[in-house]
Amino acid sequence: MTIKQYSSGVFAVVSMELRQRLRSRGWYIMLGIWFALIWLVTALAWMSWKAQRNYSDGLGGANAQSPGPLIFEAALAFVLLFGLLVAPAFSANAISGDRSAGTLAIMQITLLRPGQLLWGKFLASWIAAVAFLIVSIPFLVFGIAQGGLGAGHILIALLMLAIELGVVCAIGVGISALANRPLFSIVVTYLTVAALTFGTLIAFGLGMMLNNGTIQSNQVYYKTLEMGPGIGEKVDPEMYPPPLPGDITDQNEEYLCYGPLIEQGAARSERVAWMLAMNPFVVVADAIPYPDRTDTTQYYYSTGFFESISHGARYAQAGPEVTYPCANGKVSPEQLEKQTPLWPLGLGLQLLVTAGLLAGGWRALRTPAGKLPKGTRVA
Amino acid sequence: MTDHQPQKQPEVLFDGLSATGLARRFGEVHAVVHMDLQAPSGQVTALIGPNGAGKTTLLLMLASLLAPDTGNISVMGIDPVENPAAARAKIGWMPDTLGVWEALTAREILSTMARFYQLPKTEIPARVTALLEKVNLTSLADQKARVLSRGQQQRLSLARALIHDPQVLLLDEPASGLDPGSRIALRSILRELAAEGKAIVVSSHVLAELDEIADGAVFVNQGRTVLAQTVDQAAEQGRRYAISALEPNALAAALTTLGVAVEAGTTRRDSLTVGVGTEADAAQLLRDLVTAGVAVTSFAPATGALEETYMNMKVEQP
Repeated sequence: MTIKQYSSGVFAVVSMELRQRLRSRGWYIMLGIWFALIWLVTALAWMSWKAQRNYSDGLGGANAQSPGPLIFEAALAFVLLFGLLVAPAFSANAISGDRSAGTLAIMQITLLRPGQLLWGKFLASWIAAVAFLIVSIPFLVFGIAQGGLGAGHILIALLMLAIELGVVCAIGVGISALANRPLFSIVVTYLTVAALTFGTLIAFGLGMMLNNGTIQSNQVYYKTLEMGPGIGEKVDPEMYPPPLPGDITDQNEEYLCYGPLIEQGAARSERVAWMLAMNPFVVVADAIPYPDRTDTTQYYYSTGFFESISHGARYAQAGPEVTYPCANGKVSPEQLEKQTPLWPLGLGLQLLVTAGLLAGGWRALRTPAGKLPKGTRVA
Repeated sequence: MTDHQPQKQPEVLFDGLSATGLARRFGEVHAVVHMDLQAPSGQVTALIGPNGAGKTTLLLMLASLLAPDTGNISVMGIDPVENPAAARAKIGWMPDTLGVWEALTAREILSTMARFYQLPKTEIPARVTALLEKVNLTSLADQKARVLSRGQQQRLSLARALIHDPQVLLLDEPASGLDPGSRIALRSILRELAAEGKAIVVSSHVLAELDEIADGAVFVNQGRTVLAQTVDQAAEQGRRYAISALEPNALAAALTTLGVAVEAGTTRRDSLTVGVGTEADAAQLLRDLVTAGVAVTSFAPATGALEETYMNMKVEQP
């Protein structure tokens, strides 16, 4: 079979699926609800920013940030959240639904191969999910237009969202090929998405607790931490300002390390960071490039939700040896955000799971069928 | 199948569909224990058996959807287990479950199937139109399949099985749900296809129907082929006749004098059922009754030929 024949079979499946999808009213209703929700979230984000600005203006605060990042991140977070909720609906009954309607065997009896069937079903559900992404583009653009972020952000964010939706669709199609009943495959797909979204956090947290190790570190002294006298207290000239410690091992502008190395308990987060990496939010957050926060004018600015996720994940990946202040008597490097990105690992692991499910689904679709799961009827 | 050849060599090429020694189990359930089936090209072969006898499983194996545990299948000389793609190009299958894509129109369903079978794109519209005409769905061609009645969907399903002009046609209960007109149409379509040289296997419960279409029959029960016979053979075997007369008492008396045993009737109360050896015997009995002065009003086979065989099998319903 040539590639042309193969892809024309895939295309036949895709066009049949999309034609059915475009005729179902539910799809349009979902699209409408989706549009309304994202609109609401964007509007609320904008209004909350305005309210905040008025408040800070009243206090005489000068450096009001542009609302762009806030709106963009709010829209992005909700698009991803709703996308994760909607994508299984398109994919998780793709094959199990056909199986229970008796149309799967009709397709299997033709010259279609299991791979063509899987590709076709996957692409069709992905296209349906990406339509939702396209509907939300105006809101992301609105966020960008408010300033503070570049067009590169929106492109990378959309690309990553599309990839994550693709992963969820592929997981759904794989599970639906393995399952007998649509309800079962839909529930299992939602549970899998929940495992990726929440399960990874829980697993990471538990993994941290189980991976308590030790590091060698000495004392931290924060230079900026000036302990002034309390009101009405007499200033003791011998205690204030406090003397700098003597045996300094390393220092930067912020703090210095001194004293002998002592063994301290620390959670070895780098061993379980891969679990965190599989989280779709982490993958999307980590892939977006953020402006350099190390220069002092921006350093204390509040960072956005996604940026915090990315930072947190990279801290976890770096582990206590790097992030713990004064580990091994050294100050931790400032530019942690410039460290190796975590998202390729996360996406890679997600794709591994997906590939496993699709391979299983492919096996289940092969005919003439050898072993069948219990209670299965071919047609 | 008298010549014993080494297993490796292909058997003498049988023109049509042939299966030997098929067995298939699902876990502990032996759906098919040992079945043989020969469906020659140009003939309609009926597959008859009670519910749960393994008919559908057998058809699924013949259709290349299920792999047999043991046994061989040859579809015009092709083994569907080893070369499913080549076999599928020659097999048309109409399942007992309807399975239509409800949101698509009849025309779209057939076009899509044609694309799945890799028919040349330019030929598809004409082929689809011709098939819609054949199964009498032209007026409903652009209606969504959802609004078609069960019988119409059944006809669509038949058209779907025929889209790639298969050499072997496997029909699982094609007549169920069809109105009398559609049944007659189905019968003539099947005879036409057989005349074109296709091998057709029909499973059905409507045995009287099969008398009219089938050339031969394979009886299955509890996962085994019990008997294979032609319809002519079936007609030759002993058969029950239902007789009614103006005066039932006189008829009963005459039959007793003639020494013919009367069976418990299963049809109308005023008719008597008797077992008759051959058609010649039946003619003789009628002549005797008339000679004896019985006013016979009807004298006809109580059952179809295949039904007779089926009833004689004394199948055990689980």
